[in-house]
Amino acid sequence: MLEFDGLVKTYGDNRVLDGVGFTVTPGQMFGFCGSNGAGKTTTMRIAMGLARADAGQVRWQGTPLTEVTRRRIGYMPEERGLYPKMKVAEQLVYFARLHGLAAAEATRAAEHWTERLGLADERDQRVEKLSLGNQQRVQLAAALVSRPDVLILDEPFSGLDPVGVDSLADALLEQCRRGVPVVFSSHQLDLVERLCDAVGILARGRIVASGTVSELRAAEAGRQLRVVVPDAPTGWAGAVPGVRVVSEQRGDTVLELAPGTDDQAVLAVALGTGRVAHFAWREPTLVELFREAVSDRAVAA
Amino acid sequence: MSAFGQVRLVAGREMSTRVRDKGFIVSSVVIVLLVVGLMVFQLVSGSQTQTSTIGVVGGSPQVEQALVRSGESVGVEVEVTELADEAAARQAVEDGAADAALLGATGDGPQVVVQDSSDDGASAIAESAVGALSVAQQLGEQGVDLQPAPAIDFVVLDPRADGDDTAVVVALLGVVVLYGLLILFGQFVAQGVVEEKSSRVVEILLSTMRPWQLLTGKIVGLGLLGLAQLITIAVIGVVGALALDVVSVPSAVIPTVVSVVAWFVLGYTFYAAVFAVAASLVSRQEDLGSVLTPTTLLLVVGFIVSIQAAQDPGSTLATVTSFVPGLSPLVMPVRMAAGEAAGWEIATAVLVDLAAIAVVVRIGGRVYSGALLRTSGKTKLREALAAERG
Repeated sequence: MLEFDGLVKTYGDNRVLDGVGFTVTPGQMFGFCGSNGAGKTTTMRIAMGLARADAGQVRWQGTPLTEVTRRRIGYMPEERGLYPKMKVAEQLVYFARLHGLAAAEATRAAEHWTERLGLADERDQRVEKLSLGNQQRVQLAAALVSRPDVLILDEPFSGLDPVGVDSLADALLEQCRRGVPVVFSSHQLDLVERLCDAVGILARGRIVASGTVSELRAAEAGRQLRVVVPDAPTGWAGAVPGVRVVSEQRGDTVLELAPGTDDQAVLAVALGTGRVAHFAWREPTLVELFREAVSDRAVAA
Repeated sequence: MSAFGQVRLVAGREMSTRVRDKGFIVSSVVIVLLVVGLMVFQLVSGSQTQTSTIGVVGGSPQVEQALVRSGESVGVEVEVTELADEAAARQAVEDGAADAALLGATGDGPQVVVQDSSDDGASAIAESAVGALSVAQQLGEQGVDLQPAPAIDFVVLDPRADGDDTAVVVALLGVVVLYGLLILFGQFVAQGVVEEKSSRVVEILLSTMRPWQLLTGKIVGLGLLGLAQLITIAVIGVVGALALDVVSVPSAVIPTVVSVVAWFVLGYTFYAAVFAVAASLVSRQEDLGSVLTPTTLLLVVGFIVSIQAAQDPGSTLATVTSFVPGLSPLVMPVRMAAGEAAGWEIATAVLVDLAAIAVVVRIGGRVYSGALLRTSGKTKLREALAAERG
């Protein structure tokens, strides 16, 4: 279990993190979302020992992370970092060894991951000679090459083409199946929604929403119903008690029902206007949940 | 893996990448060629003896022998050419084919022809040859058989004096090499630090080790390489010099070379630490010059003082600077070679240097940790000290 607990970080007068806490269980893929400057990178850097938290700690299996336990974490920094003049395979072997692998094991691991990520022909190339996409793959291989117990990846999908996204997603899912907790941050919410078991949304230094995507949906305040009644007159639903019209456009209506309102009563009214083409609870997308979570707090603050 | 495991890995990477680096290979080859070239030059210029051509009219084997002998006694190789008559002799001297011409060597009125009176080398040889011939001839007429003079055994009262001079020259050469290597390897360390910062690879490295491990690994790795290079140069230099007879007093050379190597270790550690820390303040290779200049100047000052010390090892300047950290590695070997430095002085200089290294590593380590992760622009020294992994 990887626990982020009450992280606080202040730069000058700017409180970047204000008690960030969440938990990632083994084999879970955790998507870390938030606006630019919300503090995702700072949170990850604290976990990797690259920044010091003013308060709070990050624990792995119940004990705070140390210099030595961090070597079991595969990390991909937001600002990519590789030795430009070093050859791909050599570089991967070096990183694997820094993470505690023996020489022979490191060589095998470097071979495996270059093969796996389609870099077999580039092994003896200097990193600076590779295309940006391939450099990104090497970066990923650097995070995976030491068979890590935990993966922390800062924006791993940025800059990848769709094929690259798929192969990265496959690699990460495989790690999850191995029981590795994976934390990654991303702006691509559709990707997070597709891949992640759990999501944490960070805004203004706090986790404003976290849990599985369906939990987030269930927790969403108010319930929205989409009803398409082509023949109904404008304002047909206004009179139903406990119903607020969110939007209405040529019969395509989104309604918000107050708690305790019977959806069947709404259906009865809709049928009264004529043909009902569509009647269903509306599943908010992660994008909407994200907007909601971020703006809620903006209002509250 | 232990703390030293990481240091060893870093040091190993530094060595294996640097050994294959073009700049390193070229500089190594150039330095070795310079050392070998210097010895060959010494050998050629040292063995070059003066020669003199003397023309003889009406000579004999005895005359020729006498000329060669009297040339030998003043260190000049004499070449004798037979000439027909006085006119030919004058012509030869005028053309420069002969430095002097000797006429009627064994007769009553021997004559020496020279171009002008300033060229007294050849004429003196001719004169003493005539004298010797005359004495031999007269003694022969008296029936005296000449025995060669007995070989002289020279007793030198101050045998070190000659060795000291050689040692100072060797020390000075050593300091030149040492200075070059300090600059070269200091640069390597600084470039390596900035490379890691500018490529941001430092984030991955520091997630697996502490800054002091990275700093130590870097300094040790490149230091071993520098030491290997210096020892190679020293071995080639000493063996070559002794084999080719450039230097005749091995006892004066070997201790000096050893002291230069030992001072390299102290000097390199000091400068490498300062260079690494200074380099950690900037994020681009272009900015490196400005932060390295003060330290480089210190090196240049040490170099100039050491040259001055070679001329006057007992001077106040040389004495004082041989205790100053950063300067002592360049000045002290010269004073030691000159026999000017007492044992306690050397010990003090070493201790002062070690203390300075301890201070640099301690404060520098903090600056390095504080500045390493600030990858934007130039970090001020004070900020870096305050930040320390902020």
